[in-house]
Amino acid sequence: MPAPAPAPESPRAVANKSSKRTLLAAIKMALRIESSAVRHNTQTFNRNRYSATGALSDYDRLKDRARAIKERAIANIPELLATLEASVTQNGGHFFLAKDAAEATRYIADVCSRAGVRLVVKGKSMTSEEVGLNRVLQARGIEVAETDLAEFILQVADEQPSHIIAPAIHYSRERITALFKSRFKTDLPLDSGEELTRFAREHLRQKFLAADAGISGANLIAADSGSIVLVESEGNIRMTSLLPPLHIAIAGVEKVLPSRADFAPFLELLAASGTGQKLSSYTSIITPPLHAVPVLTNSDAAPRREFHLVLVDNGRMTMRQDPVLHEALYCIRCSACLNSCANFQTVGGHAFGGETYSGGIGGSWEAGTRSLDAARFNELCTGCSRCVSQCPVRIDVPFLNSTLRQRLNRRDAGKIAQLFSTVLADGSRDPVDAAPLQKLFFGRYDLFGKWGSLLAPLSNWLNAIPLTRSLMEKFVGLDRRRELPPFAKPTLVEAWRQPPASPALAAVEPPSTAVQPAARAVLFADIFTNYGSPSRGLATLKVFQSLGIDVVVSETCADGRAPLSQGLIAIAAEQARRTAELLRRYIKDDRDIVVIEPSVLAMFHLDYRRLLADAEGQLLFQILRDHSFDAMEYLWSFMQGVGLNPAMLFPASRHPLGTRLFYHSHCQQKTVGSALATEALLRAAGFDVATSRVECCGMAGSFGYKKEYYDLSMAVGQDLFQQVAEAEADGPRVLVATGTSCHEQLAAGLKRNVLYPTELLAALVPKPESQNRKPAASHA
Amino acid sequence: MPQSASMSLVDAFEKSATAAAATVERVARDPEQIAAAVARIAPAGPLAVAEPLYLPTKLFDACRHLAGAFDARSRKAMDDCAVGVTDAFAGVAHSGSICVCIDHDYAGYVSLLSRFHVAVLPAENIVERPGDLFRLDCLNGDGLRRNFVFITGPSATADMGPLVRGVHGPHRLHVIVV
Repeated sequence: MPAPAPAPESPRAVANKSSKRTLLAAIKMALRIESSAVRHNTQTFNRNRYSATGALSDYDRLKDRARAIKERAIANIPELLATLEASVTQNGGHFFLAKDAAEATRYIADVCSRAGVRLVVKGKSMTSEEVGLNRVLQARGIEVAETDLAEFILQVADEQPSHIIAPAIHYSRERITALFKSRFKTDLPLDSGEELTRFAREHLRQKFLAADAGISGANLIAADSGSIVLVESEGNIRMTSLLPPLHIAIAGVEKVLPSRADFAPFLELLAASGTGQKLSSYTSIITPPLHAVPVLTNSDAAPRREFHLVLVDNGRMTMRQDPVLHEALYCIRCSACLNSCANFQTVGGHAFGGETYSGGIGGSWEAGTRSLDAARFNELCTGCSRCVSQCPVRIDVPFLNSTLRQRLNRRDAGKIAQLFSTVLADGSRDPVDAAPLQKLFFGRYDLFGKWGSLLAPLSNWLNAIPLTRSLMEKFVGLDRRRELPPFAKPTLVEAWRQPPASPALAAVEPPSTAVQPAARAVLFADIFTNYGSPSRGLATLKVFQSLGIDVVVSETCADGRAPLSQGLIAIAAEQARRTAELLRRYIKDDRDIVVIEPSVLAMFHLDYRRLLADAEGQLLFQILRDHSFDAMEYLWSFMQGVGLNPAMLFPASRHPLGTRLFYHSHCQQKTVGSALATEALLRAAGFDVATSRVECCGMAGSFGYKKEYYDLSMAVGQDLFQQVAEAEADGPRVLVATGTSCHEQLAAGLKRNVLYPTELLAALVPKPESQNRKPAASHA
Repeated sequence: MPQSASMSLVDAFEKSATAAAATVERVARDPEQIAAAVARIAPAGPLAVAEPLYLPTKLFDACRHLAGAFDARSRKAMDDCAVGVTDAFAGVAHSGSICVCIDHDYAGYVSLLSRFHVAVLPAENIVERPGDLFRLDCLNGDGLRRNFVFITGPSATADMGPLVRGVHGPHRLHVIVV
């Protein structure tokens, strides 16, 4: 095997992620050089966002308003552009609609040339990065000064942005000092943020005072008035739009809203979701050209102000027609989806990003404005869904990435994989889910789990020998350093159907305080629990039965999570339909659906809305969403409803493992809002619960099992491992986690046993006095 | 607006603005008192006074006679300006922002180029939320017409590592609520 190419040091060399090799080189580079600054800065943004959005009493209403405005605006772009052109012209400005990057840059360069511009000051604009404006202006002999301090750093270093609002987020103060000292040959110490800022300020002040033109972006544009919103903290954009007599604003066509009144919900949402502020230092609302008399270096000239609004299509109108990617046009570039993403926090946008756009939303933008291949970094979206509830315009970022993955899968599927695809798509000849072997392997865990369990213990013995692992690593990219959870025998369903085989299911008497069973539930035998860890299901049954809850176990059924995560959307949709129909029968029989695995519950609460798209499917989705619960959430709400006290029934003080816990909730569990119940119940039982503060453990389903992402996955996990260590500074704690992949990650990082919450509680269920099993509840 | 509600908006504004690293004081609506407040807080050096938009011009008369006050309007003079005095046509209680019209006289320049920006804000123009400015029935709908900037604290950056206050815009913001 040839030696791997040395990881390039320069971010530019790995900006274009059209090949997977570049993506992997970028991850390596980012982990080595940029990770610590990115982690610190994004996590600061992330914490600040939580507190700022928490301070907005009408946060959800603002999001709904913003979403509705964007939906209307994107639907009406052609009409809005016509209105906007009339408004800008009437204001005395110039309007230009550029169909692509070349047209946009040529127009701006022509305007500058005509005006005899020698020096342009620029405010931060991702659109100008996208179209490559600086290169074109410089080729015309025009000096371009980037004046946002982060953009200034990037201009000095010749790097692409690593974040959509803080483009130099990968630079630590120390690295900036080293960069400036080497490029500016200065003897100044520059060893504090203040000194660096003063140095840059003085350098750029001269540029502001001498500039002939200012080029800015625009956060929002109002068609009815030609007003634009400019959000910033440093004051450079105010300088850019006020000081030079010529102002050019460049923005994508998706930034146009119907009216100036529509700005209202966005101002606070942008600031809170982005930097985590109530408002950024400066939010300018202007209708250029301004009337303020230009103050000029040469005071005897008094030219009129000139304004050009350059709106860029560059693929956006095609995105608008795309049944899925059009949603990306709602993006207001706040960066919440970047900062709340565990992978992004660990590598930043030089790895999880393309030449301009980065993070979860970045894939759709690179695909839309450049090419599908350029969006290959979407692989770093694990579908953990933490961004979904953070997005101020409610974009389903993971689904956008699943869709990109599906399209790339089709392109990447080799001949053998295509053959496999047909076989694995349950006989369906629909080629839509053709995919590389690795995707098929991880996407069809239902099949591997089924056969693995049937063939256990042979399959487990096979899995344990190095040759198998080496072959699996070679052919499906399953990293050999990862331990594989053994295939279960019996499975959960088998154990349930043959109760004597499982002592865990021996009958337990309900407490005398319990009322007659008012609760009827079915435990959904998801494939992960059924084939991989039935003990979680058995413990749940034991606890439920101890409270007199009438519970049965469903047959097992693939829910679609595994294929969805690999971009096998057609297979996922088929599985979703089958699961929903199966569970509807139980709901009709008055049973609530209890779910062990949070990633499956999230399918029911979030993803089925997409996967069951027709009218009948939407009905199924709503029924299932309203009747499905996390096991602990169900338990907590049942106990509260009938007045059972956890401290009496599950007294922590009697637990053989002690009362001290470290609880890690699962990413998707947090998103669907079912994590808090577990904490509440455990605390009510008297446990001393320390909790993790990470967005995701880093395993994220299959992600951490993949050979090419193992190192990144473990790097993400470091935060969690560290938090466990901190919580155990005053003594050990029992590790408790809800997600199955979180279990594997914690076990891998800490070499410790991890319990599912009901496994913890099951140890407190009193031993039955008689071994007579109660009559088993009938299957639905 | 009832007096108590108005008072609570001022209190909320003061709290938010202070949290955003501005300083706030309340002063009687009187030219001498405003000038005295400016003299107390502002450092020595060139001082520019922009024509107020909402408040009567004469309220700023005494400021124009403070030490260092100048009338030159060149870029150089503006750039050297240590203190800039403007009015603010609105304040926002939730964010602690002030709204300065940048198109009226030299307020745009003075509020941006000076190291120390002093803004005089009429208490009755404090609204609850930024979005209120985009309603026709709020402050005569001026938020829907004017060229203005919501200013929330001094200019700042985190691009150089730690948070630094004072970048291209003013290093300090002082709001005099009258």
